[in-house]
Amino acid sequence: MDLHILDHKLRVTSISKTGLQQYTHPLIKLIFLRNRTRCKFFSLTETPENYTVVLDEEGFKELQPSEHLQVEGSTWLPLNVVSNGNTSSSSQAVGVTKIAKSVIAPLAEQHVSVFMLSTYQTDFILVREKDLSVVVETLVEEFNIFREEGGESVPVHSQDACNGLQRNGREVPHATVHPVLIPENQFCVMSLDPDTLPAIATTLIDVLFYSNSPKEGASVDQDMKCIKFFSFSLIDGYVSLVMDTEAQRQFPADLLFTSSSGELWRMARIGGQPLGFDECGIVAQISQPLADSDISAYYISTFSFDHALVIPDHPACVYFAILICWHSVCRGYVLV
Amino acid sequence: MSSGYKPDILWSPHHADRYVICDTELSLYRIGPAGSSETKAGALPLSEETAATLLAINSDTPYMKCVAWYPKQEPECLLAVGQANGRVVLTSLGQSHNSKCKELVGKEFVPKHARQCNTLAWNPVDSNWLAAGLDKHRADFSVLIWDISSKFSPEAVPAEKVRLSGDVDSGLVVTKPLYELGQNDACLSLCWLPRDHQKLLLAGMHRNLAIFDLRNTSQKTFVNTKAIQGVTVDPHFQDRVASFFEGQVAIWDLRKFEKPVFTLTEQPKPLTKVAWCPTRMGLLATLTRDSNIIRLYDMQHTPMPFGDEVEPTIIERSVQPCSESIISSFAWHPSAQNRMVVVSPNRVMNDFTVFERISLAWSSTTALMWACGRHLYECTEDAGQGVAAAEKDIATKMRERAQSHYGHDTVQVWRNHVLAGGDDPQLRSLWYTLHYILHCSAAALQETIGPFKAYSVKVILECTTETRRCWSGSDRQTDVPWYHSEERSLALQLCGWISRGPDIDVEPFLKSLEQEGEWERAAAVALFNLDIRRAIQILNKGASAEKGDLNLNVVAMALSGYTDEKNSLWREMCSSLRLQLKKPYLCVMFAFLTSEPGAYDAVLYESRVAVRDRVAFACMFLNDAQLPRYIDKLANEMKEAGNLEGILLTGLTKDGVDLMESYVDQTGDVQTASFCMLKGSPGEVLKDPRVQCWIENYRNLLDAWRFWHKRAEFDIHRSKLDSSSKPLAQVFVSCNFCGKSISYSCSAMPHQGRGFSQYGVSGSPTKSKVTSCPGCRKPLPRCALCLMNMGTPVSSCPGTGKADEKADLTRDKKLAQFNNWFTWCHNCRHGGHAGHMLSWFRDHSECPVSACTCKCMQLDTTGNLVPSDSV
Repeated sequence: MDLHILDHKLRVTSISKTGLQQYTHPLIKLIFLRNRTRCKFFSLTETPENYTVVLDEEGFKELQPSEHLQVEGSTWLPLNVVSNGNTSSSSQAVGVTKIAKSVIAPLAEQHVSVFMLSTYQTDFILVREKDLSVVVETLVEEFNIFREEGGESVPVHSQDACNGLQRNGREVPHATVHPVLIPENQFCVMSLDPDTLPAIATTLIDVLFYSNSPKEGASVDQDMKCIKFFSFSLIDGYVSLVMDTEAQRQFPADLLFTSSSGELWRMARIGGQPLGFDECGIVAQISQPLADSDISAYYISTFSFDHALVIPDHPACVYFAILICWHSVCRGYVLV
Repeated sequence: MSSGYKPDILWSPHHADRYVICDTELSLYRIGPAGSSETKAGALPLSEETAATLLAINSDTPYMKCVAWYPKQEPECLLAVGQANGRVVLTSLGQSHNSKCKELVGKEFVPKHARQCNTLAWNPVDSNWLAAGLDKHRADFSVLIWDISSKFSPEAVPAEKVRLSGDVDSGLVVTKPLYELGQNDACLSLCWLPRDHQKLLLAGMHRNLAIFDLRNTSQKTFVNTKAIQGVTVDPHFQDRVASFFEGQVAIWDLRKFEKPVFTLTEQPKPLTKVAWCPTRMGLLATLTRDSNIIRLYDMQHTPMPFGDEVEPTIIERSVQPCSESIISSFAWHPSAQNRMVVVSPNRVMNDFTVFERISLAWSSTTALMWACGRHLYECTEDAGQGVAAAEKDIATKMRERAQSHYGHDTVQVWRNHVLAGGDDPQLRSLWYTLHYILHCSAAALQETIGPFKAYSVKVILECTTETRRCWSGSDRQTDVPWYHSEERSLALQLCGWISRGPDIDVEPFLKSLEQEGEWERAAAVALFNLDIRRAIQILNKGASAEKGDLNLNVVAMALSGYTDEKNSLWREMCSSLRLQLKKPYLCVMFAFLTSEPGAYDAVLYESRVAVRDRVAFACMFLNDAQLPRYIDKLANEMKEAGNLEGILLTGLTKDGVDLMESYVDQTGDVQTASFCMLKGSPGEVLKDPRVQCWIENYRNLLDAWRFWHKRAEFDIHRSKLDSSSKPLAQVFVSCNFCGKSISYSCSAMPHQGRGFSQYGVSGSPTKSKVTSCPGCRKPLPRCALCLMNMGTPVSSCPGTGKADEKADLTRDKKLAQFNNWFTWCHNCRHGGHAGHMLSWFRDHSECPVSACTCKCMQLDTTGNLVPSDSV
């Protein structure tokens, strides 16, 4: 297996719901006017609390600082696992599940905080730049690690990196018990030909920026039975979308790419209070049991909470995946 | 890839006149000659000769990303279209709906997870297989190989999918691919390997190229590279693959797949298409974005595989098919040589043939050959009789002259110009000059004046004495300064005006000129000898001769009116009207008569008059101060012009070589140069590297013409004239150890610091044993019969012959006898002393070496001859 440290220096930010109108211009530019910006990595996720924007430094320049913009202090680097074809392709489990054992768990053991971002195309594991040496040292046995610089893949060896700091040295608090919220709405994971973005521009703007308009507001479930969750990412020219079935109905069906089986996902939101960025092991604790049961999962971290998506495999056991979540709950999670 | 809908172009693999333009729809065109009845009024002109007719349009498949034409003859117009959502649809263009086609058209191949289809490729052998390269999906494969003949999948297509695609007729949908390859990566380009149709070359987004073998998909050859776009196999060299990344093309050799064998010069703009020419070996065309030129790389002469140390020989060219317009795409014609159609973003098409580079070669026999494309053109000199000799190529002339023994007449040297054809005034002058020079020098030798002197006018004229002479045959006796000395008369001899002897008598010369019909020249010479009556007589004779010019009588009349009165009408008229005379000798005659004594520039610088006559004139009428200046000036002029007449002035000296050099530079006539310089003195002239170069070139030329005998004759001729040039040995016996010749001529050369002590042999190098190699002192081979080392002293080297005493090989001490000669069979390479061999073969027919069954003696036609001394 190869692990690529991608050539993006990312910032994780959050825009408050009330401050959105200040940022619509740069966001629209970043989403629709690809040729006008040098931003190569852009992800926008709307949650009931705020908008989480993960973007590279070129994109970050577009966002004017204000009271509505919270910025996580560190620079994050995306990691990407590439199977170079030598691994057996027997396991059907994909996404976070596949890398749970090989990447996420070892990093959790080394107390490296990760920020997960799954897309239609692949899974990105974001780690802080200052943790990189620990990451390399931890994963070098399992992976061939490459650092991408200016289009070239440069092999990274552990001795290059570990001469710096040896260990994170961070004191790890005992695994916190986080509440898990499982809303009732179902989600689609989709993609789109970037060339057809203009065709869905109005719908996308409507869904992203006007979801709290009165007609929509009526349908927002205040009891959090259904939560607003919409994610758009445009990374290296690839578009990935996560939206619930209600939002999906507003898009023209023939433009969005999805799987032929038309699978629908259920979501589990982890965290009652904002999780912060220092706690580690959260992804590991969720993905580990899923991996054990070979259930594919999709994981999106946001500024406040983590979101895991699973497919309820069979109509007869719609809640199977949620039962898996129950397993995690039994290990100390509280289902709200 | 995200280039929007720029039109692309595809030729039909089997119909040389059809192609498809694809942008948002597929348009089928037929190409035909412009203006023919076949082409309709709506035909689009593609070039001056061709036009295209739109046959059909297919707009059934939206969001096209890539198209591939079915490779087999039937069904004819079946196309696979890869869509933006990853579906592959089979569609057709035009009418021909046979049953097989009907069955297939409309069939869809749907991946599990929708994403863009980047590339399609039909298997060239198993044409049911269609490989589709898709974008990345986190949970799916990027390469799906579909079997187009497979029936639709039995499991029900989920209702959701039908809703998403809006596809009602799900019976034509196939969802189960034959093979899935390349997990967790995007496939940007792929191609089947023609050498082994089960193998597929994939280019993934994670900077790698991989070769999969479908018989065992877990095995693959893998290489990391950035050049992952547009992989394409050279149709003429199936191990050669091109791929590109941005502006750079990498060329791969599949047998050495670790890294590209070379990369082409990077272009500033990203490439959009790279295609091998199907009709021409090793020609790659590349197109960059927003460009109006197509770059061609000719790798025909690039060795494959080639080592790292060699710089690849790639000829880069660019063509501009449609002057200003940007090219969107291009496609090579599948069969017409070097032809392509280009299409611009606004669908303006252009039919275009890349003009082939022309390579050209001269043969040694003046034939010119050039190759253009698959045609070979030969251009030979018109051998017809109508061609004037002067127009013939120098190589032809030299060939003809070589065959007529040009240069070989050493007795009557002047005759060589006749052998040369006798029509070149320069050669004529040259050989006459050489004749006179040799004549004079031979006479000088006889009289023991001294050794061979490089006779030339320049050398001879040192000091003179002045005498005066009067006009003869004229009424008035006027004194004209007329100079005479021994040297001057020698110079006149060289000029050919007088023969040897103390008298200055031009009469024989005039007679010979009269014989040759050179009336004007004879008259002029007579006049310059102040014999005006003789001049008039010659002119009269000329006028009355057969084919004579009657005007000469008029000239004679004018001449007879000569007066030395300074202000006479005669003088006035002559000096102005003489310029209108066409014949140079007549012109200089009047110039002479009207000039003041000592001011004869009009005669001396009349370039149409032969140099020898001008020089002879100068010798008679210029004083000691003027003469050397004039000779120097003229000599330099001749040298610069490369005029062989100037040899008269320079002789066969260094100056003469300079003159000859400029003559050879102009004409390339190394033949004349070689023969001429061979007559020169060996010490001074023949050692000149230029002369050696001419001689070697002439020998090579004779070899190239396969004039072996002429070459040999020339060598003999050369060795006669130049004793320092010994014919080189052509055959050597070389030592098995050092590879040098074992003959003494070789050992006679100084050993370059190579002491013999290092070989453990004591003794001085001069006392070498005949049984050892003189170069390295290792023993020579043994005789197969007596088992002694062989060795023969070379009798032609008397200096080293003393070493014979040490020779220990034979009982009889006559070492140089034939019995001791090396002899060996050319077939089995066994041999020994000639005497031993002869006695062996008297009783045996097989080789003396045990286990060798070669019947050596019977192979030799002369083997049955018995040497006379053994009888």
